[in-house]
Amino acid sequence: MLIASADPLAFDPFTFITTMVVFVVVFVVLGVGVWPKILKGLNERDAKILHEIESAEAAREAAMAKQKEFELKLAAALEESDRMLREARASAVRVGDELRAKNESELAERARRASDEIENARRTAVAELEAHASSLAIAIAGRILEREISPTDQKRLVEQSLASMNASRT
Amino acid sequence: MSLFLANSSDPVSHIVDKPIAGLKFGDINIMLSMVTVIGTALVLVLLLMRAASGSKTGPASMGNRRYLPSSSFSGIIEVMVVYLRDEMLIPVMGARLTARYLSYLLSLFFFILLLNIVGLIPFVDVHYAVYQVTGAPFAGVTESNTAALFGGAATASISVTGALAMISFLVVQVQGFRELGIGGWLEHLCGGRELVRGSIFLWLVIPIIFVVELGGIFVKPAALAIRLFANMVAGHTLLLTLLGFGAMAAKAGLGTLSVSGITLVSGIGAILITFLEVFVALLQAFIFMFLTAVFISLMAHEEHAEGHEAHDDAASGHGDSHGHHAAAAHS
Repeated sequence: MLIASADPLAFDPFTFITTMVVFVVVFVVLGVGVWPKILKGLNERDAKILHEIESAEAAREAAMAKQKEFELKLAAALEESDRMLREARASAVRVGDELRAKNESELAERARRASDEIENARRTAVAELEAHASSLAIAIAGRILEREISPTDQKRLVEQSLASMNASRT
Repeated sequence: MSLFLANSSDPVSHIVDKPIAGLKFGDINIMLSMVTVIGTALVLVLLLMRAASGSKTGPASMGNRRYLPSSSFSGIIEVMVVYLRDEMLIPVMGARLTARYLSYLLSLFFFILLLNIVGLIPFVDVHYAVYQVTGAPFAGVTESNTAALFGGAATASISVTGALAMISFLVVQVQGFRELGIGGWLEHLCGGRELVRGSIFLWLVIPIIFVVELGGIFVKPAALAIRLFANMVAGHTLLLTLLGFGAMAAKAGLGTLSVSGITLVSGIGAILITFLEVFVALLQAFIFMFLTAVFISLMAHEEHAEGHEAHDDAASGHGDSHGHHAAAAHS
């Protein structure tokens, strides 16, 4: 049943020639109308992709340059702000020190003035008190002695009183 | 008559090229493979023209999408073209020869591929099935001719594969004369420049090399033709043998259950072999095209001196793998 009745190696020259002619025609038609179009499309796509890649690379490089530039500017700005901050702090410290020194000197001046005023007031009060005390002592002494004391006595008595007061103070 | 074997008593009779019954051109019988080759060529041209129109860069109004293929078929063809060009041909032939022979090699590849695939589609059996259903004429139809008008495995005909190999032979020799000139071509036949202009003792081997190389000129295209033809015949014979088991079981008088079981198993086997045959169709088209590219590259100046190893491997029929490696190494 499976014994071949036909010769698979049978050669037919007309089929041979037909195939050659048909293939040559196919080759010419495809070579003119198909492969150039496909290859042109592929080449244009390749060129487009290449162009896009190159553009993207250029844009990336430009962006990186910009970023580097911004980073430099940012670093400079940060340095400037640090410097300004340091200067502001130093200035604030200096101004504070000056204000403090000024306040302290003013306070010292005020204290000195107050002390002077107090000393003056004390002296005035002491003088007034001495005067009043002497008058009062004279008046009391006059009453005790029931006589008038002459100015010479009065002066002498005051001086004696003052001397005794000074002696008692020391 | 078996429906599957289309008026053939055995698979090989089914595969071999036959004249179409009642169709003649003068005294010349019109063979089924002639019509199949012509019809397949027309289909190929139409398909590839459609692919090419989809591959063209569109109008600017489409924006960036104009650079994309407009259909998936165009995309598939483009992928195949780019792969063959960039991954297979340029590494073997170099950019210059690839640019020169790309159209020819691509045409060869797609032409053989479509012929192989058409051979897998049972057009002949469909013809017979339709004729049996419609009662169309079988007058004058015998086992030595066919009632089909189209179909069959054209690449299972040595006349078809021989014609394609003859064109490759002519292209290779034209390349040889063009690149090397008559003197260089003769030097090539004598073993190359180093041998011819080398020591006088080396001249003793030149006659042997000349005979081998001269034989190789004809053996290489013959190997191309026989490789494709034999692979197609073998694949289709296997396929049809599997498909014929059911009919053989029925003719042997086996029971319905046995016939059904045998038909089912052999049918599953045939389906699996068909998948293998699709791969073989692609592979054989590629091998034919690729070996032609290797032979062309061997006739170029830069590969000429060191190309004999790949040349010999390919010519001896082992070129499928060895020739590839050697040629790739040369490039």
